[in-house]
Amino acid sequence: MSTILEQKCPNCGGAVEFDVGAQRLKCPFCDTEFDITAMPEDTANQVEQINWNSQGAQWGAGETDGMSVYACNSCGGEIVADTTTGATTCPYCGNQVVMKGQFSGALKPDLVIPFKLDKKAAKEALKKHISTKKFVPKSFLADNRLEEIKGVYVPHWLFTCDAIGNANYKATKVRKWSDENYNYTETSYFEVYRSGNIGFDNIPVDGSTKMPDDLMESVEPFDLSQAVDFNTAYLAGYLADKYDVTAEESMPRANERIRQSIIDSFRETVKGYDEVENQGANMNVANGIYKYALYPVWLLNTKWNGENFTFAMNGQTGKFVGNIPTDKKAVTKASLLLGAGIGAVIYGLMWLIELL
Amino acid sequence: MTKKIFAALIALIICLSAVISASAYTQEYVIDYADKLSSGELEELNLFAEKLETAYGVAVLFCITEGTGDVTADEFASETYSDYTDNENGIIIVHDDWNNAYCVFTSGNAEETFTNAAVDSMNDAYDLNESYYGGIYACYNLAMEYLENGYSGGYVYESEEFVYAGESDEPKTENEKDGVSIIWLPVSLLIGLLVGFIIINSVASKNKSVKMQENATVYTRPGSMVITGSADNFLYKNLDRTEKPKQTENQNK
Repeated sequence: MSTILEQKCPNCGGAVEFDVGAQRLKCPFCDTEFDITAMPEDTANQVEQINWNSQGAQWGAGETDGMSVYACNSCGGEIVADTTTGATTCPYCGNQVVMKGQFSGALKPDLVIPFKLDKKAAKEALKKHISTKKFVPKSFLADNRLEEIKGVYVPHWLFTCDAIGNANYKATKVRKWSDENYNYTETSYFEVYRSGNIGFDNIPVDGSTKMPDDLMESVEPFDLSQAVDFNTAYLAGYLADKYDVTAEESMPRANERIRQSIIDSFRETVKGYDEVENQGANMNVANGIYKYALYPVWLLNTKWNGENFTFAMNGQTGKFVGNIPTDKKAVTKASLLLGAGIGAVIYGLMWLIELL
Repeated sequence: MTKKIFAALIALIICLSAVISASAYTQEYVIDYADKLSSGELEELNLFAEKLETAYGVAVLFCITEGTGDVTADEFASETYSDYTDNENGIIIVHDDWNNAYCVFTSGNAEETFTNAAVDSMNDAYDLNESYYGGIYACYNLAMEYLENGYSGGYVYESEEFVYAGESDEPKTENEKDGVSIIWLPVSLLIGLLVGFIIINSVASKNKSVKMQENATVYTRPGSMVITGSADNFLYKNLDRTEKPKQTENQNK
């Protein structure tokens, strides 16, 4: 059994949305603004309980796995979503709805970073992102159509800990000199060891399998100082998912990043060598705690040549990422032209040196 | 090649004129104290030498003797040269037939033309001929070749080849004047293409901006890093010695 929640305007009854400029809830029908705290989290007349779909013989065993059906409070329309969807839009009346049960009890996020940038900023960022890249196919620029743009609160696990570790490095020093007849190169080899402690705060790990991990890590970092206690009112107007990757399942990724951080940070204390090569590291984690947070991300989908391209923008800082196709013919042509130019310059310089 | 043809033509002209105008020489260039040459041979050789002096302004004398008396070979050569010519530019080759020894005296700009290698070559040519006349004639042919090269191009005979002895302190061969070989053009283009490919692909790779983070350094708690253990242990050292490339003689020409 699931429940849905709509944030309704107490003035006109319209569905309200979170306004990123005012950082308050706003009714798009009567322009009334409300504080987040003024809105009730849940009331009896806002909640309608519905049954899981039990559609008898129409659904085979396992066919409804991963699917939930909700009824819109405003129009009564049936909203089909997967089991992790936490907030969405009614496809019939456009009302913003929040699946309250997805964020209640143990599933309630500890923190949420509200969106600071709106849809318009995301569109502008996409244009800027594409226009600054080189060797983009002309047809991509001309035929590229924005298929979908959506603001999503992506579930993240935040890991805080004290890491205790050690790292080994192989280092070399090179000394060169020469006499009348010979050149000498002396290479000295050292084994370098470092151990110590480093504290980490709120390392994020994507808690949703729907979101590509590399895309989510690419829009990092988020400024957690601007995070607030979770309130479903912040979800109004956006999509949201509950986590489907547990904290325990996310820990290996956090540990991997911590381990590499130890190697890199300790490496900076190894000085006075010409080359330093990592030979391995060990670490333990103490005082580890984790939190559950929702991070704001704008997702933009485009289609070109039958292929989908997904871009993401940090909804807080505006950092924009996304892979863009490369015109291989243009790359080859440019490589040949530049190569021929450089080759001609080299040959010309050889002539100049010869003549001088 | 042109020079060789030109030298051959001059030699032919000199030979022909020597034959045609026999007994027409006015100065004695071949001095035969040992009576090894007939009068006819003397006349031919003297005419050859006279033409050389006329063409190049250098007196080329040859003396056959049996001993140098109570003077040294060098003094003998110098005195004989002075006795038989007033030309400041010239050379005399004295062959002491009794002691089978040679002595050479050069004067003026003949010192530049008749290098040690040139004189050795002339002596060898003289020795290789069974007759005195043939030996001296071969010497005069070589003398004409050396004079022609020096006269027309500033080249002197060194180590079995003619090298440029112009005004430059660093002599250059004709090949070096040709500049950078065309073989370096495809090599340059290949290097250019490689560099161009790296640069362009580096620019194109910036179209990919999605990647996993390598570490979590940005989430390090400020001032939290404490190094509790540190060791830098020396393991061993390697010493590589490579010989410096030496400049060859050819590189200096």
